[in-house]
Amino acid sequence: MILGIDSSESIAKELTDVFQQVQRSLVVIQNGRGGAGVFWRTGGIVVTNNHVIHRGHPRISTLDERQYPTQIIARAKEIDLAILKVDSIEFGDSNLGVASIADSHQLRVGQIVLAIGHPWGQIGAISAGIISSLGCAQMRDRRGTLKVIRTDARLAPGNSGGPLINASGGVIGINTMVVGGDLGVAIPSHVVNDFVEKTLGQENLRVAM
Amino acid sequence: MSKNNGNSLLSGLSDAMADAVETAGTATVLVNARRRFPASGIAYDSDLILTASHVIEREDDIPVLLPDGSKKSAKLIGRDPGSDLAVIRLGSSVAELAESAEGEARVGQLVLALGRPTPDGIQASLGVVSAIGGPVYTRHGGLLEHHIRTDAIPYPGFSGGPLVDSSGRVLGMNTSGLTRGASLAIPVGLAWKIAESLAKHGSVRRGYLGIRSQPVEIPSSHQDTLGRQQETGLLLVSVEKGSPAEKGGLMVGDILTGFAGQPISESDELFARLAGEVVGQPVKVEVLRGGHLQEDTVTIGERK
Repeated sequence: MILGIDSSESIAKELTDVFQQVQRSLVVIQNGRGGAGVFWRTGGIVVTNNHVIHRGHPRISTLDERQYPTQIIARAKEIDLAILKVDSIEFGDSNLGVASIADSHQLRVGQIVLAIGHPWGQIGAISAGIISSLGCAQMRDRRGTLKVIRTDARLAPGNSGGPLINASGGVIGINTMVVGGDLGVAIPSHVVNDFVEKTLGQENLRVAM
Repeated sequence: MSKNNGNSLLSGLSDAMADAVETAGTATVLVNARRRFPASGIAYDSDLILTASHVIEREDDIPVLLPDGSKKSAKLIGRDPGSDLAVIRLGSSVAELAESAEGEARVGQLVLALGRPTPDGIQASLGVVSAIGGPVYTRHGGLLEHHIRTDAIPYPGFSGGPLVDSSGRVLGMNTSGLTRGASLAIPVGLAWKIAESLAKHGSVRRGYLGIRSQPVEIPSSHQDTLGRQQETGLLLVSVEKGSPAEKGGLMVGDILTGFAGQPISESDELFARLAGEVVGQPVKVEVLRGGHLQEDTVTIGERK
């Protein structure tokens, strides 16, 4: 394909736009191991990695630097996911919002992706790359394998729980760590969605643990 | 995937990259010829696969997995450890062959490194051409005229796979076996040339002149004689008896300045010119003798 200078500038601008759009849904997990999370649904539903939260009521902060207490409503060690709920949050006319979730069934190797999180404590940092492979990784409990997205975008501790997004700003996965410290891996958004559905579908929303 | 934002260039670029991976992926195969670590190969001509020499540890019954999932068995046809290239033959033609890029790689150009080290599908990484390097001496005494460096991540098993442009056309073959700790790509023009020689002769024929030389400065007055700015040439310090050089009329004391129409200012350059198809061919050799420019025709021998 042929791209002129104008196109390159437009692409750069689009990258910034996509980043700003996704930033709205990004949170920092405060009293865990400094991971990231994303507003997955309305009602204060935040998805993050299980390994970045402790017990109790993890505090999160949003990109406008406000802090909120949360409840852990589900955690799944084997797929390294956890769902938190923020009771008191109203997006209203704030700059915050729920992420747009993309379908991860139709992904292709080579597609451009952006990872957003807090690598090495740098809040709201972005790294770019492509989908490097679509394969399986061993689960954290070593009991089986899990479909994952691998990317060549640079990920570091602090990206865990943050979103991997496509070129139109849709979340295609949650960045995570799998056995062996393999960093450039994301849990596809359809796996996350299934987990969220399963959890929120339960009538009795008990607080886990 | 979610619907693209209509006119989004970024989404367009994303799709183009995925298309490039898909296109080049149809000619990227799994070559399983060493213990534990399968590598990759490029289907380039009917039933021939180009791969890296250092990943080939067996000569027969090499398991090859094609992109369509079919399993084949290949045989080593030829290898050149000097350039880390090997050609293996499948015995039956494959449907999709790699297409080479027009023109050479350019610094800054977007590239994708591809590999198929597992049966789980194609793998890729994105980067740019970081540099086009000049001649390098490789681990096995070989010489690469030029090579491509990229910042695309060379994942394990990417050796033997293609480095492609944003249309999926092959710019080079990736290998981590030539220089310690670094991955580079052998430019496609050079790779095809060596592959042709490997397929035909089983090895790369290297030309033989029968001279020993050392680089010397060319005085400016002699540069005028040359009619170009060339600061160094190769002073012939010995010419073997009965060698192609002697038969062609080269003498001790000559300053070799050109070979086959190309200026030669270092011995690396001469080595590079002696690789490939020059063996047995008459080649014009340009020398300065006593301050005068002279051209001798030397029929290149073969280094055994």
